[in-house]
Amino acid sequence: MSAPHAPGFLLMRRAGGLWGIANGAVEGLARDGAGYRIQAGGAALAADEILGVVTDLRVVPAAPALRRFWPEEPAGVAVHAGVPLVVVDPRRLPAALRCEIPRCDAGEDEEQGHE
Amino acid sequence: MTRSTDPKESRTRREGTHLLVRAGEHTCALPLAAVRRVVRSLTVHPLPGAAGELEGLAEFGGEPLPVLNLARLVNASPGANPSYPVTVVVRVGPAGSQEMLGLAADAALEVVHVPPDSIVAGEGGFLQGEAPLGGEVVRILNLEALGS
Repeated sequence: MSAPHAPGFLLMRRAGGLWGIANGAVEGLARDGAGYRIQAGGAALAADEILGVVTDLRVVPAAPALRRFWPEEPAGVAVHAGVPLVVVDPRRLPAALRCEIPRCDAGEDEEQGHE
Repeated sequence: MTRSTDPKESRTRREGTHLLVRAGEHTCALPLAAVRRVVRSLTVHPLPGAAGELEGLAEFGGEPLPVLNLARLVNASPGANPSYPVTVVVRVGPAGSQEMLGLAADAALEVVHVPPDSIVAGEGGFLQGEAPLGGEVVRILNLEALGS
């Protein structure tokens, strides 16, 4: 589903929203209970659903007005299939995407899809 | 009817033209020159952890658009359930580095002229001041300050 250094963005759902991360930053993907755990930038992200990889995402910087009212520091924002999404910076993961301990450390997950 | 050809007077009149919108218990005036579009309330996708003023992200014209809750911005108590809520798409920020932003409001009312000398200066920043208009006090917003 995701390949290191491949172009594009891995799209996922989390906390009711749509999120993306540069595919090249994804180091691993595994089931985690009903959701998924994604390794990226040395950290673990949680996702409720993986939507796939898109290559034609036009990412623009987050506007100052957005940063003023949202404490996170995303890599940018974009629209996919008419739905706005946040592209995360793996070095500065939004709190909503960070894996909850111990759920993400359970180690019982089945590695999959990282081809 | 005679129209003024004085460029200064014309510019002053243009700058004094505002769109009135309802935001909770308040009526707010947005500089018309900064208003790009008024559309029926856009579908907004919330951002976890955002301040109350930020409703979330919407899609407008194929681009992501941050949407702010105007009533929260002006500290207005919520009004009755609006029958035709709107998103006012505006340009904010200083000239040269402007950005698009959505303002969620209860209703778009009308376009009016607010004489600059009728505005009582406010606390600065986003709230430029207040002005009496049609028997009520209207809050005049400074959209340049919102994006900076």
